Amino acid sequence: MNTLGRILIVEDDPRDVELTLTALEEYNLANAVVVTRDGQEALDYLYRRGQFHTRSDGNPAVMLLDLKLPKVDGLEVLKQVRSDEHLKMIPVVVLTSSHEEKDMITSYKLGVNAYVVKPVDFHEFVNAVKELGVFWAVINEPPPGSVRNR
Amino acid sequence: MAPWNLQSKMARSRLLRYGFSVACVAIAMGLALVFRHYRFRELAPPFNLAIAVATWYGGVGPSVLALVLSAACFDYFFSPPIYSFAISSEDLPSFILFTAWALLIASFAGARHRIEDDLSDARDRLQVEVEQRKQQEDEIRKLNQKLANRAAELESSNKELESFAYSVSHDLRAPLRHVVGFSELLQKQAASLLDDKSQRYIKTILDSAQKLGKLIDDLLSFSRIGRAETKKSLVNLEQLVKDVVSEIEQETRGREIAWKIDALPVCYGDRSMLMLVFANLVSNAVKFTRRRTRPEIEIGCADGDNDDLEVFVRDNGAGFDMQYANKLFGVFQRLHRADEFEGTGIGLATVQRIIHRHGGKVRAEGAVDQGATFYFSVPKAQHSEVRAANTL
Repeated sequence: MNTLGRILIVEDDPRDVELTLTALEEYNLANAVVVTRDGQEALDYLYRRGQFHTRSDGNPAVMLLDLKLPKVDGLEVLKQVRSDEHLKMIPVVVLTSSHEEKDMITSYKLGVNAYVVKPVDFHEFVNAVKELGVFWAVINEPPPGSVRNR
Repeated sequence: MAPWNLQSKMARSRLLRYGFSVACVAIAMGLALVFRHYRFRELAPPFNLAIAVATWYGGVGPSVLALVLSAACFDYFFSPPIYSFAISSEDLPSFILFTAWALLIASFAGARHRIEDDLSDARDRLQVEVEQRKQQEDEIRKLNQKLANRAAELESSNKELESFAYSVSHDLRAPLRHVVGFSELLQKQAASLLDDKSQRYIKTILDSAQKLGKLIDDLLSFSRIGRAETKKSLVNLEQLVKDVVSEIEQETRGREIAWKIDALPVCYGDRSMLMLVFANLVSNAVKFTRRRTRPEIEIGCADGDNDDLEVFVRDNGAGFDMQYANKLFGVFQRLHRADEFEGTGIGLATVQRIIHRHGGKVRAEGAVDQGATFYFSVPKAQHSEVRAANTL
């Protein structure tokens, strides 16, 4: 495991962030993670503006996106990402609490790469996050232009 | 104007009309006397005029009265021999002519009055009908308005329900996930520090949170069934049951369940919903036969009423007391303690809701420790076209 794709987590709930990071830590994936706390911050990161204006170039290998977010919600973020020439190739995984069919359909219509409902059961949750992390940050070949950690 | 009003008016004016008739003849009499005084030759015209006027104003009755009075007066006062009702033979033709002429006028007037009455009757009836029609139209318009309001209310409450379910599914599960997650983390982190009691507490927290999660999921799917549209098609029940059973069998490995699946027909319904019905009923049967050394579960079919077929799921499990049969299908209704058989009390409510949405019925038979049989009816396949037409 010499290169790791960067994982961008967009999640407003600090407890969910902690649980997600805990899960990723088990596979030593946590240091490749950037956490943004709402849709606006996520877009700031992607566009390298605001607090992220000094960050180095490159897109994340995957974005784990919650749907219910303050300011700009997840579907809105997804829409913007998919309509931007420089961002549209970023793999996006929706990671949400809800089973709502409406959300799922909208997400897929907007071109999401995967849609995962956070399991209530902790082991399942950890497994889901771990597998997501391993698959997208390690196994999957990210699109050209992604940041890689060494 | 209502017809009864017209009639009363006519009755009131009867005296007036006959009085007018008498007055006309009296005036004619006066005129004739004046004519005679000036030795005019024709004395009949005033009477003719009186009869015509009385007829025109009063109708048939007053006309006849005017005619009789005029004839009598003329005969008595003017036709020789004067001051007697006798008629000389030379005056007879002109007297008859006079009478015939007056009768003709009277009959014309009568006809005119009848036609006029008929016309005004018809007009009144028409008016009443128009008013009734208008009232009915108003009523229909009001009802329509009410219906539209009701539909709008329903739509908004449906929307509310939907957003409620949406926020439940998002916001209720998140804290639950945290309770479970952090309890697990605590368990892992402090495993060596915690005594048995503390471990048990954490386990209870986890169990309760899991149960709450299941409850929320069940409730959400229950409410989704109420809102979702049914997508009906021909459904092979036998294949459906086999699918459900083979899925459930994976969870019941190690248990010797004697399955008996009869031949089941094709029915008309929503496949995924009917699958949920069988999944609930069969997993219930599996659950409540847990303490049997030789569990038996039978799934079969009988002809129901009319166009329905009745499917049943029978087990030899814990059964239930028939006096609580009406409670079985209620939401959150449970007939067993949670430590005997786990469950959220939503499964059979879901079954009932699905079957009701198919226009069918559910019922159950059972006895304590004698097993239970759950019946539900669904539309037969051959009546699907009729059903489809009816539900459109």
